[in-house]
Amino acid sequence: MTYLSELFASRELFYNLTMRDVKGKYRRTVLGQLWSLINPLATMLVYTLVFSFIFRARPSVGDPSGLDIYPLWLMTGLLPWLFFTRVVTGGMSSVIGNAGLIKKVYFPRMHLPFSVAGSVGYTWAIEMGVLVVALTVFGGMPLIWVPVAVLFMVLLALFALGLAMLLAIGNVYFRDLQHFTSIALQMWMYLTPIIYPLHLVEDQAEVHGQWILDVYRLNPMERFVSVFRELLYDNRWPDLGDSLVCVAWTVAMFTIGFLVFKRSEKRLAELL
Amino acid sequence: MSEAAVVVDDVSKKFRLYKEKNDSLKTAFMRGRRSVHEDFWALKDVSFEVPEGSTFGLVGRNGSGKSTLLKCLAKILYPNSGSISSRGKVASLLEVGSGFHPELSGRENVYLNGSILGMSRKDVDKKFDEIVDFSGVRKFIDQPVKNYSSGMYVRLGFSVAINVDPDVLVVDEILAVGDAAFQAKCKEKFAEFRRAGKTVILVTHSMGNIRDMCDHAAWLDNGSLVQVGDAQSVMKAYTADIDKGDR
Ligand SMILES: Nc1ncnc2c1ncn2[C@@H]1O[C@H](COP(=O)(O)OP(=O)(O)O)[C@@H](O)[C@H]1O
Ligand SMILES: [Mg+2]
Repeated sequence: MTYLSELFASRELFYNLTMRDVKGKYRRTVLGQLWSLINPLATMLVYTLVFSFIFRARPSVGDPSGLDIYPLWLMTGLLPWLFFTRVVTGGMSSVIGNAGLIKKVYFPRMHLPFSVAGSVGYTWAIEMGVLVVALTVFGGMPLIWVPVAVLFMVLLALFALGLAMLLAIGNVYFRDLQHFTSIALQMWMYLTPIIYPLHLVEDQAEVHGQWILDVYRLNPMERFVSVFRELLYDNRWPDLGDSLVCVAWTVAMFTIGFLVFKRSEKRLAELL
Repeated sequence: MSEAAVVVDDVSKKFRLYKEKNDSLKTAFMRGRRSVHEDFWALKDVSFEVPEGSTFGLVGRNGSGKSTLLKCLAKILYPNSGSISSRGKVASLLEVGSGFHPELSGRENVYLNGSILGMSRKDVDKKFDEIVDFSGVRKFIDQPVKNYSSGMYVRLGFSVAINVDPDVLVVDEILAVGDAAFQAKCKEKFAEFRRAGKTVILVTHSMGNIRDMCDHAAWLDNGSLVQVGDAQSVMKAYTADIDKGDR
Protein backbone atom coordinates (compact mmCIF):
# COMPACT_ATOMS: atom_id res chain seq x y z
CA MET A 1 0.00 0.00 0.00
CA THR A 2 1.45 3.34 -0.93
CA TYR A 3 1.87 6.07 1.64
CA LEU A 4 -0.90 8.25 0.32
CA SER A 5 -3.44 5.49 -0.03
CA GLU A 6 -2.77 4.39 3.53
CA LEU A 7 -3.22 7.95 4.72
CA PHE A 8 -6.49 8.16 2.84
CA ALA A 9 -7.69 4.77 4.04
CA SER A 10 -7.28 5.89 7.65
CA ARG A 11 -9.16 9.16 7.21
CA GLU A 12 -11.57 8.13 9.94
CA LEU A 13 -8.69 8.42 12.36
CA PHE A 14 -8.13 11.97 11.17
CA TYR A 15 -11.77 12.71 11.82
CA ASN A 16 -11.70 11.12 15.27
CA LEU A 17 -8.49 12.85 16.35
CA THR A 18 -9.92 16.15 15.15
CA MET A 19 -13.12 15.62 17.09
CA ARG A 20 -11.12 14.55 20.13
CA ASP A 21 -9.53 18.00 20.15
CA VAL A 22 -12.72 19.85 19.31
CA LYS A 23 -14.81 18.10 21.94
CA GLY A 24 -12.09 17.81 24.54
CA LYS A 25 -11.13 21.44 24.50
CA TYR A 26 -14.38 23.02 25.56
CA ARG A 27 -16.07 20.07 27.19
CA ARG A 28 -17.40 20.84 30.63
CA THR A 29 -16.65 24.51 30.60
CA VAL A 30 -19.73 26.57 31.37
CA LEU A 31 -19.77 28.44 28.10
CA GLY A 32 -18.61 25.47 26.04
CA GLN A 33 -17.96 26.26 22.41
CA LEU A 34 -18.65 29.96 23.01
CA TRP A 35 -15.22 30.24 24.59
CA SER A 36 -13.67 29.86 21.18
CA LEU A 37 -15.31 33.13 20.12
CA ILE A 38 -14.45 35.08 23.24
CA ASN A 39 -10.73 34.85 22.65
CA PRO A 40 -10.71 36.60 19.23
CA LEU A 41 -13.30 39.10 20.44
CA ALA A 42 -11.08 40.12 23.34
CA THR A 43 -8.11 40.46 20.99
CA MET A 44 -10.23 42.56 18.67
CA LEU A 45 -11.21 44.92 21.47
CA VAL A 46 -7.64 45.41 22.63
CA TYR A 47 -6.23 46.05 19.17
CA THR A 48 -9.10 48.35 18.26
CA LEU A 49 -8.56 50.35 21.41
CA VAL A 50 -4.82 50.63 20.95
CA PHE A 51 -4.47 51.02 17.21
CA SER A 52 -7.70 52.67 16.19
CA PHE A 53 -8.29 55.05 19.11
CA ILE A 54 -4.78 55.70 20.36
CA PHE A 55 -2.60 55.37 17.26
CA ARG A 56 -5.41 56.36 14.88
CA ALA A 57 -4.62 53.71 12.29
CA ARG A 58 -7.01 54.29 9.39
CA PRO A 59 -7.58 51.46 6.97
CA SER A 60 -8.58 52.41 3.47
CA VAL A 61 -12.30 52.36 2.79
CA GLY A 62 -13.54 49.07 1.40
CA ASP A 63 -13.73 49.26 -2.38
CA PRO A 64 -16.43 48.62 -3.58
CA SER A 65 -18.06 47.64 -0.28
CA GLY A 66 -17.69 51.12 1.22
CA LEU A 67 -17.04 49.66 4.67
CA ASP A 68 -14.94 51.80 6.99
CA ILE A 69 -14.96 49.98 10.30
CA TYR A 70 -11.58 49.26 11.87
CA PRO A 71 -12.57 46.24 14.02
CA LEU A 72 -14.08 44.42 11.02
CA TRP A 73 -11.16 45.33 8.80
CA LEU A 74 -8.83 44.11 11.51
CA MET A 75 -10.61 40.79 11.92
CA THR A 76 -10.55 39.89 8.20
CA GLY A 77 -6.77 39.87 8.54
CA LEU A 78 -6.41 38.78 12.14
CA LEU A 79 -8.57 35.64 12.01
CA PRO A 80 -6.51 34.06 9.20
CA TRP A 81 -3.34 35.02 11.05
CA LEU A 82 -4.53 33.50 14.33
CA PHE A 83 -5.47 30.32 12.49
CA PHE A 84 -2.04 30.21 10.90
CA THR A 85 -0.17 30.59 14.20
CA ARG A 86 -2.37 28.05 15.99
CA VAL A 87 -1.77 25.46 13.30
CA VAL A 88 1.96 26.11 13.27
CA THR A 89 2.43 26.01 17.04
CA GLY A 90 -0.11 23.23 17.64
CA GLY A 91 1.06 21.16 14.70
CA MET A 92 4.71 21.46 15.60
CA SER A 93 4.12 20.23 19.15
CA SER A 94 1.68 17.51 18.12
CA VAL A 95 4.44 14.95 17.58
CA ILE A 96 6.18 15.49 20.90
CA GLY A 97 2.87 15.90 22.67
CA ASN A 98 1.75 12.47 21.50
CA ALA A 99 5.04 10.71 22.17
CA GLY A 100 3.30 8.11 24.33
CA LEU A 101 0.99 7.18 21.51
CA ILE A 102 3.72 7.11 18.87
CA LYS A 103 5.85 4.78 20.97
CA LYS A 104 3.03 2.34 21.62
CA VAL A 105 0.81 2.17 18.57
CA TYR A 106 1.33 2.14 14.85
CA PHE A 107 -0.78 4.55 12.81
CA PRO A 108 0.07 7.06 10.09
CA ARG A 109 1.71 9.76 12.18
CA MET A 110 0.82 12.51 9.77
CA HIS A 111 -2.69 12.46 11.18
CA LEU A 112 -1.35 14.20 14.27
CA PRO A 113 -0.49 17.55 12.63
CA PHE A 114 -3.40 17.11 10.19
CA SER A 115 -5.88 16.79 13.02
CA VAL A 116 -4.51 19.94 14.65
CA ALA A 117 -5.28 21.78 11.41
CA GLY A 118 -8.68 20.08 11.44
CA SER A 119 -9.66 21.12 14.94
CA VAL A 120 -8.20 24.63 14.68
CA GLY A 121 -9.85 24.93 11.28
CA TYR A 122 -13.18 23.97 12.81
CA THR A 123 -12.93 26.87 15.23
CA TRP A 124 -11.70 29.17 12.50
CA ALA A 125 -14.65 28.30 10.27
CA ILE A 126 -17.04 29.33 13.05
CA GLU A 127 -15.13 32.57 13.60
CA MET A 128 -15.17 33.37 9.88
CA GLY A 129 -18.89 32.59 9.77
CA VAL A 130 -19.55 35.10 12.54
CA LEU A 131 -17.34 37.63 10.76
CA VAL A 132 -19.24 37.23 7.50
CA VAL A 133 -22.51 37.81 9.34
CA ALA A 134 -21.08 40.94 11.00
CA LEU A 135 -19.74 42.26 7.68
CA THR A 136 -23.15 41.74 6.12
CA VAL A 137 -24.96 43.44 8.99
CA PHE A 138 -22.72 46.49 8.62
CA GLY A 139 -23.45 46.80 4.91
CA GLY A 140 -20.89 44.65 3.12
CA MET A 141 -21.68 41.95 0.56
CA PRO A 142 -19.25 39.18 1.50
CA LEU A 143 -21.66 36.28 0.97
CA ILE A 144 -21.05 35.74 -2.75
CA TRP A 145 -17.30 35.72 -2.09
CA VAL A 146 -17.49 33.00 0.51
CA PRO A 147 -16.79 30.12 -1.92
CA VAL A 148 -13.56 31.78 -3.10
CA ALA A 149 -12.64 32.62 0.49
CA VAL A 150 -13.12 28.96 1.45
CA LEU A 151 -10.71 28.00 -1.33
CA PHE A 152 -8.09 30.33 0.12
CA MET A 153 -8.80 29.02 3.61
CA VAL A 154 -7.89 25.56 2.36
CA LEU A 155 -4.73 26.96 0.74
CA LEU A 156 -3.73 28.71 3.95
CA ALA A 157 -4.40 25.54 5.93
CA LEU A 158 -2.08 23.54 3.65
CA PHE A 159 0.57 26.24 3.79
CA ALA A 160 0.43 26.30 7.60
CA LEU A 161 0.47 22.51 7.71
CA GLY A 162 3.56 22.32 5.54
CA LEU A 163 5.41 24.63 7.90
CA ALA A 164 3.99 22.81 10.94
CA MET A 165 5.17 19.40 9.68
CA LEU A 166 8.63 20.74 8.98
CA LEU A 167 8.88 22.31 12.44
CA ALA A 168 7.37 19.23 14.13
CA ILE A 169 10.30 17.17 12.89
CA GLY A 170 12.77 19.91 13.77
CA ASN A 171 11.27 20.00 17.24
CA VAL A 172 12.07 16.33 17.78
CA TYR A 173 15.75 17.06 17.25
CA PHE A 174 15.85 20.45 18.95
CA ARG A 175 13.44 20.71 21.84
CA ASP A 176 13.83 24.47 22.22
CA LEU A 177 12.71 25.14 18.65
CA GLN A 178 9.24 25.90 20.06
CA HIS A 179 10.49 28.95 21.91
CA PHE A 180 12.27 30.30 18.88
CA THR A 181 9.18 29.72 16.79
CA SER A 182 6.89 31.60 19.12
CA ILE A 183 9.26 34.57 19.14
CA ALA A 184 9.55 34.43 15.36
CA LEU A 185 5.76 34.30 15.00
CA GLN A 186 5.35 37.40 17.13
CA MET A 187 7.80 39.34 14.99
CA TRP A 188 6.22 37.91 11.87
CA MET A 189 2.83 39.26 12.89
CA TYR A 190 4.15 42.81 13.10
CA LEU A 191 5.83 42.39 9.72
CA THR A 192 2.44 41.56 8.20
CA PRO A 193 -0.19 44.25 7.58
CA ILE A 194 -2.74 42.91 10.04
CA ILE A 195 -3.23 45.67 12.57
CA TYR A 196 -1.99 48.46 10.30
CA PRO A 197 -2.74 48.94 6.59
CA LEU A 198 -0.24 48.18 3.84
CA HIS A 199 -0.31 51.77 2.60
CA LEU A 200 1.70 52.88 5.65
CA VAL A 201 4.54 50.71 4.33
CA GLU A 202 3.98 51.98 0.79
CA ASP A 203 4.32 55.55 2.06
CA GLN A 204 7.65 54.74 3.70
CA ALA A 205 8.85 52.97 0.54
CA GLU A 206 8.15 56.09 -1.47
CA VAL A 207 10.36 58.12 0.83
CA HIS A 208 13.18 55.63 1.50
CA GLY A 209 13.23 53.49 -1.64
CA GLN A 210 11.16 50.91 -3.44
CA TRP A 211 13.24 48.00 -2.12
CA ILE A 212 11.53 48.31 1.27
CA LEU A 213 8.22 47.32 -0.25
CA ASP A 214 9.80 44.58 -2.36
CA VAL A 215 11.37 42.97 0.66
CA TYR A 216 8.25 43.49 2.75
CA ARG A 217 6.14 41.68 0.18
CA LEU A 218 8.32 38.57 0.18
CA ASN A 219 6.26 37.59 3.21
CA PRO A 220 3.65 35.05 2.04
CA MET A 221 1.30 35.95 4.89
CA GLU A 222 1.11 39.49 3.52
CA ARG A 223 -0.38 37.98 0.34
CA PHE A 224 -2.84 35.80 2.20
CA VAL A 225 -4.03 38.66 4.39
CA SER A 226 -4.45 40.90 1.33
CA VAL A 227 -6.47 38.26 -0.46
CA PHE A 228 -8.83 37.73 2.49
CA ARG A 229 -9.32 41.50 2.84
CA GLU A 230 -10.06 41.93 -0.85
CA LEU A 231 -12.57 39.09 -0.80
CA LEU A 232 -14.42 39.72 2.44
CA TYR A 233 -13.87 43.38 3.33
CA ASP A 234 -13.62 44.99 -0.12
CA ASN A 235 -15.81 42.35 -1.83
CA ARG A 236 -13.87 42.02 -5.07
CA TRP A 237 -11.68 39.55 -6.91
CA PRO A 238 -8.26 39.30 -5.26
CA ASP A 239 -5.24 40.51 -7.15
CA LEU A 240 -4.18 37.78 -9.58
CA GLY A 241 -0.50 38.15 -8.74
CA ASP A 242 -1.18 37.80 -5.00
CA SER A 243 -3.34 34.75 -5.60
CA LEU A 244 -0.67 33.04 -7.67
CA VAL A 245 1.98 33.79 -5.08
CA CYS A 246 -0.28 32.21 -2.41
CA VAL A 247 -0.68 29.09 -4.52
CA ALA A 248 3.05 28.86 -5.21
CA TRP A 249 3.98 29.22 -1.53
CA THR A 250 1.37 26.66 -0.54
CA VAL A 251 2.57 24.08 -3.04
CA ALA A 252 6.21 24.60 -2.11
CA MET A 253 5.69 24.65 1.66
CA PHE A 254 3.33 21.71 1.80
CA THR A 255 5.55 19.60 -0.44
CA ILE A 256 8.64 20.29 1.65
CA GLY A 257 6.84 19.68 4.94
CA PHE A 258 5.21 16.51 3.65
CA LEU A 259 8.44 15.02 2.31
CA VAL A 260 10.47 15.85 5.41
CA PHE A 261 7.80 14.43 7.69
CA LYS A 262 7.38 11.30 5.60
CA ARG A 263 11.11 10.69 5.61
CA SER A 264 11.45 11.00 9.38
CA GLU A 265 8.18 9.36 10.32
CA LYS A 266 9.55 5.86 10.67
CA ARG A 267 12.22 6.93 13.11
CA LEU A 268 9.98 8.98 15.36
CA ALA A 269 9.33 6.20 17.88
CA GLU A 270 13.01 5.89 18.75
CA LEU A 271 13.83 9.58 18.57
CA LEU A 272 11.18 10.57 21.08
CA MET B 1 3.69 -27.56 9.41
CA SER B 2 1.21 -24.96 8.22
CA GLU B 3 2.31 -21.80 6.51
CA ALA B 4 4.04 -19.00 8.36
CA ALA B 5 1.93 -16.11 9.61
CA VAL B 6 5.02 -14.03 10.34
CA VAL B 7 8.48 -14.39 8.89
CA VAL B 8 11.30 -12.63 10.71
CA ASP B 9 14.26 -12.63 8.38
CA ASP B 10 17.71 -11.69 9.62
CA VAL B 11 16.48 -8.71 11.59
CA SER B 12 18.94 -6.37 13.31
CA LYS B 13 18.04 -3.23 15.20
CA LYS B 14 20.46 -0.60 16.37
CA PHE B 15 19.85 2.10 18.94
CA ARG B 16 21.97 5.12 19.56
CA LEU B 17 23.02 5.49 23.15
CA TYR B 18 23.95 9.09 23.81
CA LYS B 19 26.89 9.88 26.03
CA GLU B 20 26.21 13.50 25.51
CA LYS B 21 22.95 14.44 23.96
CA ASN B 22 22.46 17.84 22.52
CA ASP B 23 18.84 18.55 21.72
CA SER B 24 18.91 22.29 22.06
CA LEU B 25 19.38 24.78 19.25
CA LYS B 26 20.92 27.25 21.66
CA THR B 27 23.88 25.06 22.53
CA ALA B 28 24.18 23.78 18.96
CA PHE B 29 24.59 27.29 17.61
CA MET B 30 26.28 29.12 20.40
CA ARG B 31 28.77 26.55 21.52
CA GLY B 32 28.84 24.29 18.49
CA ARG B 33 28.17 21.25 20.63
CA ARG B 34 27.44 18.01 18.85
CA SER B 35 25.90 14.87 20.21
CA VAL B 36 28.20 11.98 21.04
CA HIS B 37 26.74 8.53 20.73
CA GLU B 38 27.60 4.89 20.62
CA ASP B 39 25.75 2.21 18.68
CA PHE B 40 23.97 -0.49 20.59
CA TRP B 41 22.55 -3.52 18.82
CA ALA B 42 19.34 -4.53 20.56
CA LEU B 43 18.65 -7.25 17.97
CA LYS B 44 21.30 -9.16 16.07
CA ASP B 45 20.45 -11.22 12.98
CA VAL B 46 17.27 -12.68 14.39
CA SER B 47 15.42 -15.07 12.09
CA PHE B 48 12.43 -17.32 12.77
CA GLU B 49 8.98 -18.13 11.52
CA VAL B 50 5.74 -18.05 13.41
CA PRO B 51 3.38 -20.74 12.10
CA GLU B 52 -0.13 -19.64 11.30
CA GLY B 53 -2.61 -20.35 14.07
CA SER B 54 0.01 -20.85 16.73
CA THR B 55 0.37 -19.12 20.04
CA PHE B 56 3.98 -18.09 20.11
CA GLY B 57 5.81 -17.18 23.30
CA LEU B 58 8.87 -14.94 23.41
CA VAL B 59 11.14 -15.39 26.40
CA GLY B 60 14.41 -13.97 27.62
CA ARG B 61 15.93 -11.95 30.42
CA ASN B 62 15.20 -8.26 30.90
CA GLY B 63 16.80 -6.21 28.18
CA SER B 64 17.21 -9.12 25.81
CA GLY B 65 15.26 -7.36 23.07
CA LYS B 66 11.79 -8.88 23.35
CA SER B 67 9.92 -5.59 23.37
CA THR B 68 12.13 -4.25 20.62
CA LEU B 69 11.25 -7.24 18.47
CA LEU B 70 7.53 -6.85 19.15
CA LYS B 71 7.73 -3.17 18.24
CA CYS B 72 9.37 -4.11 14.96
CA LEU B 73 6.54 -6.56 14.34
CA ALA B 74 4.04 -3.82 15.11
CA LYS B 75 5.75 -1.36 12.71
CA ILE B 76 6.47 1.05 15.54
CA LEU B 77 10.20 0.56 15.06
CA TYR B 78 11.90 -0.29 11.78
CA PRO B 79 14.81 -2.73 11.62
CA ASN B 80 18.16 -1.45 10.38
CA SER B 81 18.56 -4.56 8.30
CA GLY B 82 16.55 -7.65 7.53
CA SER B 83 12.83 -7.75 7.03
CA ILE B 84 9.61 -8.83 8.65
CA SER B 85 6.66 -9.96 6.63
CA SER B 86 3.30 -10.94 7.97
CA ARG B 87 0.11 -12.28 6.47
CA GLY B 88 -3.01 -10.35 7.31
CA LYS B 89 -3.68 -7.58 9.76
CA VAL B 90 -1.34 -7.22 12.71
CA ALA B 91 -2.55 -5.55 15.90
CA SER B 92 -0.44 -4.88 18.93
CA LEU B 93 -1.20 -4.61 22.61
CA LEU B 94 1.86 -2.90 23.97
CA GLU B 95 0.18 -0.50 26.29
CA VAL B 96 -3.52 -0.20 26.67
CA GLY B 97 -5.50 2.99 26.81
CA SER B 98 -2.82 5.12 25.17
CA GLY B 99 -4.67 7.80 23.27
CA PHE B 100 -7.57 8.00 25.68
CA HIS B 101 -8.69 11.56 26.19
CA PRO B 102 -9.56 12.19 29.85
CA GLU B 103 -12.37 14.66 29.13
CA LEU B 104 -14.20 12.38 26.71
CA SER B 105 -16.62 9.70 27.81
CA GLY B 106 -15.80 6.01 27.78
CA ARG B 107 -18.05 5.61 24.75
CA GLU B 108 -16.28 8.34 22.77
CA ASN B 109 -12.91 6.94 23.76
CA VAL B 110 -13.86 3.48 22.54
CA TYR B 111 -14.48 4.93 19.10
CA LEU B 112 -11.32 7.06 19.20
CA ASN B 113 -9.12 4.23 20.41
CA GLY B 114 -10.68 1.82 17.95
CA SER B 115 -9.77 4.07 15.06
CA ILE B 116 -6.23 4.55 16.36
CA LEU B 117 -5.95 0.77 16.29
CA GLY B 118 -7.28 0.67 12.75
CA MET B 119 -10.96 -0.14 13.22
CA SER B 120 -13.61 1.63 11.19
CA ARG B 121 -16.64 3.20 12.80
CA LYS B 122 -18.76 0.33 11.51
CA ASP B 123 -16.41 -2.23 13.08
CA VAL B 124 -16.71 -0.48 16.43
CA ASP B 125 -20.50 -0.19 16.10
CA LYS B 126 -20.71 -3.93 15.56
CA LYS B 127 -18.41 -4.78 18.45
CA PHE B 128 -19.45 -2.06 20.84
CA ASP B 129 -21.54 -4.18 23.17
CA GLU B 130 -18.97 -6.92 23.24
CA ILE B 131 -16.24 -4.41 24.10
CA VAL B 132 -18.25 -2.83 26.88
CA ASP B 133 -19.37 -6.14 28.35
CA PHE B 134 -15.86 -7.49 28.29
CA SER B 135 -14.53 -4.43 30.10
CA GLY B 136 -17.23 -4.54 32.74
CA VAL B 137 -17.59 -0.75 32.90
CA ARG B 138 -21.01 -0.46 31.28
CA LYS B 139 -22.42 1.60 34.14
CA PHE B 140 -19.78 4.26 33.59
CA ILE B 141 -19.56 4.19 29.82
CA ASP B 142 -20.97 7.70 29.43
CA GLN B 143 -18.78 9.17 32.15
CA PRO B 144 -15.54 10.96 31.23
CA VAL B 145 -12.68 8.50 31.61
CA LYS B 146 -10.82 10.85 33.95
CA ASN B 147 -13.28 9.63 36.58
CA TYR B 148 -12.31 5.99 36.00
CA SER B 149 -10.14 4.04 38.37
CA SER B 150 -6.90 2.90 36.81
CA GLY B 151 -8.21 -0.65 36.70
CA MET B 152 -11.29 0.40 34.75
CA TYR B 153 -9.15 2.47 32.43
CA VAL B 154 -6.90 -0.44 31.63
CA ARG B 155 -9.78 -2.86 31.23
CA LEU B 156 -11.58 -0.64 28.78
CA GLY B 157 -8.38 -0.09 26.79
CA PHE B 158 -7.68 -3.79 26.74
CA SER B 159 -11.22 -4.61 25.63
CA VAL B 160 -10.97 -2.29 22.67
CA ALA B 161 -7.59 -3.66 21.64
CA ILE B 162 -8.55 -7.28 21.92
CA ASN B 163 -11.64 -6.72 19.83
CA VAL B 164 -9.71 -5.27 16.89
CA ASP B 165 -9.97 -8.75 15.39
CA PRO B 166 -6.56 -8.99 13.77
CA ASP B 167 -5.03 -12.01 12.09
CA VAL B 168 -1.91 -11.65 14.18
CA LEU B 169 -2.04 -10.27 17.72
CA VAL B 170 1.17 -9.06 19.35
CA VAL B 171 1.05 -8.80 23.15
CA ASP B 172 3.73 -7.46 25.50
CA GLU B 173 3.60 -8.26 29.19
CA ILE B 174 0.17 -6.93 29.76
CA LEU B 175 -1.39 -10.07 31.13
CA ALA B 176 -0.31 -8.70 34.46
CA VAL B 177 -3.06 -6.06 34.40
CA GLY B 178 -6.43 -6.40 36.06
CA ASP B 179 -7.63 -8.68 38.78
CA ALA B 180 -7.68 -12.46 38.63
CA ALA B 181 -11.17 -12.56 37.15
CA PHE B 182 -10.18 -10.21 34.35
CA GLN B 183 -7.02 -12.18 33.65
CA ALA B 184 -9.06 -15.32 33.35
CA LYS B 185 -11.32 -13.56 30.84
CA CYS B 186 -8.26 -12.51 28.85
CA LYS B 187 -6.92 -16.02 28.73
CA GLU B 188 -10.28 -17.23 27.55
CA LYS B 189 -10.16 -14.58 24.84
CA PHE B 190 -6.73 -15.78 23.69
CA ALA B 191 -8.02 -19.36 23.61
CA GLU B 192 -10.92 -18.17 21.47
CA PHE B 193 -8.39 -16.52 19.19
CA ARG B 194 -6.54 -19.75 18.80
CA ARG B 195 -9.68 -21.70 18.08
CA ALA B 196 -10.48 -19.18 15.36
CA GLY B 197 -7.11 -20.04 13.79
CA LYS B 198 -5.45 -16.72 14.61
CA THR B 199 -1.86 -16.20 15.57
CA VAL B 200 -0.82 -14.72 18.89
CA ILE B 201 2.74 -13.63 19.72
CA LEU B 202 3.24 -12.83 23.35
CA VAL B 203 5.86 -11.86 25.87
CA THR B 204 5.25 -12.86 29.42
CA HIS B 205 7.34 -13.44 32.47
CA SER B 206 5.01 -16.02 33.85
CA MET B 207 6.27 -19.51 33.04
CA GLY B 208 2.78 -20.71 33.85
CA ASN B 209 1.30 -18.58 31.10
CA ILE B 210 3.75 -19.91 28.56
CA ARG B 211 3.10 -23.50 29.56
CA ASP B 212 -0.69 -23.10 29.50
CA MET B 213 -1.02 -21.08 26.37
CA CYS B 214 1.88 -21.41 23.98
CA ASP B 215 2.67 -24.13 21.51
CA HIS B 216 5.78 -22.49 20.07
CA ALA B 217 8.42 -20.30 21.65
CA ALA B 218 11.62 -18.41 20.94
CA TRP B 219 14.33 -17.51 23.39
CA LEU B 220 16.28 -14.30 23.00
CA ASP B 221 19.41 -13.41 24.86
CA ASN B 222 21.28 -10.13 24.44
CA GLY B 223 19.57 -9.50 21.15
CA SER B 224 20.42 -12.86 19.63
CA LEU B 225 18.17 -15.82 19.09
CA VAL B 226 19.24 -18.77 21.24
CA GLN B 227 16.58 -21.29 20.42
CA VAL B 228 13.27 -21.53 18.64
CA GLY B 229 10.86 -24.41 18.38
CA ASP B 230 8.07 -26.08 20.25
CA ALA B 231 7.30 -24.40 23.55
CA GLN B 232 8.20 -27.35 25.76
CA SER B 233 11.75 -27.81 24.64
CA VAL B 234 12.51 -24.09 24.47
CA MET B 235 11.13 -23.58 27.95
CA LYS B 236 13.12 -26.51 29.23
CA ALA B 237 16.36 -25.09 27.89
CA TYR B 238 15.50 -21.61 29.11
CA THR B 239 14.63 -22.70 32.65
CA ALA B 240 17.77 -24.79 32.79
CA ASP B 241 19.80 -21.75 31.80
CA ILE B 242 18.14 -19.58 34.42
CA ASP B 243 18.73 -22.18 37.13
CA LYS B 244 22.35 -22.39 36.10
CA GLY B 245 22.64 -18.59 36.29
CA ASP B 246 21.08 -18.53 39.74
CA ARG B 247 23.56 -20.92 41.16
N1 LIG C 1 14.54 3.66 22.35
C1 LIG C 1 15.64 3.06 22.82
N2 LIG C 1 16.83 3.71 22.81
C2 LIG C 1 17.95 3.11 23.27
N3 LIG C 1 18.00 1.88 23.75
C3 LIG C 1 16.87 1.16 23.80
C4 LIG C 1 15.62 1.72 23.34
N4 LIG C 1 14.66 0.78 23.51
C5 LIG C 1 15.27 -0.30 24.05
N5 LIG C 1 16.59 -0.07 24.22
C6 LIG C 1 17.58 -1.04 24.75
O1 LIG C 1 17.46 -2.23 24.01
C7 LIG C 1 17.62 -3.35 24.87
C8 LIG C 1 16.45 -4.28 24.71
O2 LIG C 1 15.31 -3.69 25.28
P1 LIG C 1 13.88 -4.39 25.30
O3 LIG C 1 13.57 -4.83 23.94
O4 LIG C 1 12.93 -3.46 25.96
O5 LIG C 1 14.13 -5.64 26.25
P2 LIG C 1 13.08 -6.63 26.91
O6 LIG C 1 11.71 -6.25 26.47
O7 LIG C 1 13.50 -7.98 26.45
O8 LIG C 1 13.26 -6.49 28.39
C9 LIG C 1 17.77 -2.81 26.27
O9 LIG C 1 19.14 -2.84 26.61
C10 LIG C 1 17.28 -1.40 26.18
O10 LIG C 1 18.01 -0.58 27.06
MG1 LIG D 1 10.06 -5.51 27.55
